[in-house]
Amino acid sequence: MADDLILDVQEVKKAYDGVEVLKGISFGLYRGETKVLIGPSGSGKSTLLRCINQLTVPDAGRIYLNGKEVLDSNIDTMRARMGFVFQDFNLFSHLTVLDNVRICQIKVNGINKDDATQRAHRELERVGLSERANAYPAELSGGQQQRVSIARALAMDPDVLLFDEPTSALDPELTGEVVRVMQQLAVEGMTMVVVTHEMSFARQAADEIIFMENGHIVEQGTPAELFDASASDRTRAFLNIIKEHE
Amino acid sequence: MDIYDVLLRDFPFLLKGLGVAIVLLVALLIIGFVLGLAICLLQLYGPKTRLVQWPLKLYERVFRGIPIIIMLFIFYYGMSGIFEISAFGAAVLAMGLRSAAYQSQIFRSAFQSVPSGQMMAARAMGMSKMVAIRQIIFPQAAIHAIGPWTNEFSSEIKETSLAYVIGVVELTRQAHYIITSTQGNVLTVFAVVALLYFVLNRVGNSLLYAYERKLAVPGFGK
Ligand SMILES: Nc1ncnc2c1ncn2[C@@H]1O[C@H](COP(=O)(O)OP(=O)(O)OP(=O)(O)O)[C@@H](O)[C@H]1O
Ligand SMILES: [Mg+2]
Repeated sequence: MADDLILDVQEVKKAYDGVEVLKGISFGLYRGETKVLIGPSGSGKSTLLRCINQLTVPDAGRIYLNGKEVLDSNIDTMRARMGFVFQDFNLFSHLTVLDNVRICQIKVNGINKDDATQRAHRELERVGLSERANAYPAELSGGQQQRVSIARALAMDPDVLLFDEPTSALDPELTGEVVRVMQQLAVEGMTMVVVTHEMSFARQAADEIIFMENGHIVEQGTPAELFDASASDRTRAFLNIIKEHE
Repeated sequence: MDIYDVLLRDFPFLLKGLGVAIVLLVALLIIGFVLGLAICLLQLYGPKTRLVQWPLKLYERVFRGIPIIIMLFIFYYGMSGIFEISAFGAAVLAMGLRSAAYQSQIFRSAFQSVPSGQMMAARAMGMSKMVAIRQIIFPQAAIHAIGPWTNEFSSEIKETSLAYVIGVVELTRQAHYIITSTQGNVLTVFAVVALLYFVLNRVGNSLLYAYERKLAVPGFGK
């Protein structure tokens, strides 16, 4: 079991202008596990996710991917093993959908063009967008763009996928198609950390939910433990607010 | 011999002058492109120390702030005391260095038009900074730069005629030779010369527009 620990986050700290937004966060993620990170705005969820792949450099703490520490010296290789899905997609806007899903396979992983193309088509099919392979990002809806960005991440054959509020920039009627793709990935055994306010997704797909507040992990447990029997007033208060908004 | 016969006879000289103007144009644009791009990349991605950034800024200000005729005089008459330089060489240098100042600005704002999320996504996928710049940022910056660059191209065509003042035998000076040798006919000769500049400008612009259309991406930058 121990070598199935894909991601090991140890005591990660980060401060901005002297204000600590991550106050020593630790958690582990096993192969095939889906962890959902929830918490109020400003609690440090994005910062934590970005510290994992060092888009934000943590002040202290260690990150291990498959037992190897993520360091400055190996950062590009490590990032290639961790897919990152942004809130606002960030598809490469000068490239077609197909090229978006292909380019990093070729330029980062050194895969030849034919294999990369095949893989790209497979991943596009997986997110239901095979017919749009030749479109440009600006020609797609937000939901489609996000699905392409998931395909782009999947095509790298990553060990783990990190999602930072993948549906927050979408119109409500478009969140469903993205959530369904994520749910399918969870079922297929993809290893994922998902920051989201989609509680239905959290309830159905999460193996564990982490509730963060003020740079701390307040509570973590199965969806049933957190949603139905939370020991923490803070968690219950947060979930109530979310429920009112749904 | 009336002026039309003279023009016909001397037309090869005008074409030669046009050729010199084109070589000058191409040379100054290449210098401007390479140097301008280097300046822009240093400004955006180089060390942020004042030691590096300040001279770059000064360079830009100086070359944008001084009339090109003065620059031509300085590079030709001023420099020839220090080292051997032909009028043509001085013109290429003065105009190329100035174009670098303009082009660096064009490139800088083109690069800055690329949203920061593009670099972030590229790095998050495991691209090194160099690969990300080459594969993601450059092609997008090119789409932003091509329009303003076409303007720079057009104005530099016209500016090549100023090399006249230090004696470069380009199109305008060839025209002047014809006029002095035939006493007059200023209007006709310069009309022909104007037409040549105009045609060169249109041809260059058409090629650049075609390239712009080729680079265009549906919905890009909207
Ligand atoms: N680049 C930055 N510079 C300064 N402060 C920052 C920066 N990024 C984040 N912060 C601050 O750190 C805190 C945590 O931000 P973070 O984005 O991680 O929260 P979050 O939990 O993702 O919130 P949200 O749900 O709104 O996305 C916030 O107070 C935020 O203002
Ligand atoms: Mg966030």
